[in-house]
Amino acid sequence: MWNAECEMKRELKITTEPIDERALVASRRMSAGMGAAACFTGVVRSDEEGQSISAIEYTAFPQMAEHQFNLLFDEIAKRWPIESVRLVHRLGVVKVNEPSLWVEVVAPHRGEAFAACQWLIDEMKRVVPIWKKPLP
Amino acid sequence: MRIAIQFYSYFADLAGCAEASEDLPATATIGDLMHRLHARFPKLAAMDKSTLIAVGVEYRPRGYVLKEGDEVSLFPPVQGG
Repeated sequence: MWNAECEMKRELKITTEPIDERALVASRRMSAGMGAAACFTGVVRSDEEGQSISAIEYTAFPQMAEHQFNLLFDEIAKRWPIESVRLVHRLGVVKVNEPSLWVEVVAPHRGEAFAACQWLIDEMKRVVPIWKKPLP
Repeated sequence: MRIAIQFYSYFADLAGCAEASEDLPATATIGDLMHRLHARFPKLAAMDKSTLIAVGVEYRPRGYVLKEGDEVSLFPPVQGG
């Protein structure tokens, strides 16, 4: 039975530094009762709305982005038995093929891990003030 | 009362500045502020339906009653990821 009183661990990084997926995976911590770690990496595509691009420049309203991410994490903690959420979003110029977003959700089972990860990304695209500008 | 306004993303280009301020009567709402801003920055008026509005770090509706010192942010739909 999920105990919503349990503290969900959360890590949020909004950064201009490149996302080091290998280091993030290496630093994963899961307790013995956890059976699923759902990871998502968002990568810059070479085309945006039919136009060929070389990169995307991400900008944000950083204080509000952090606050809105934390509200989403609060909601995840209420909805699913998640042990931890980690999210890294890159700002600045991100070249094609480079990751702009990395999300990890650790849960007892894959169902809630996938569901929470999908929900978090969908909601992020609705409420977190980050914008992208394609660069030719 | 004096209200500070910040424009993000391409709204700053449309406004021609990233920040502005407006003097409004007490009990003015965000809707009142938007009337002023649309007269001052006509290119923003065309984006009215898609404009997102925050006070501080919270989204607020147009009926929200502003208070001295509020910092209002206007921006287009978000596109993270």
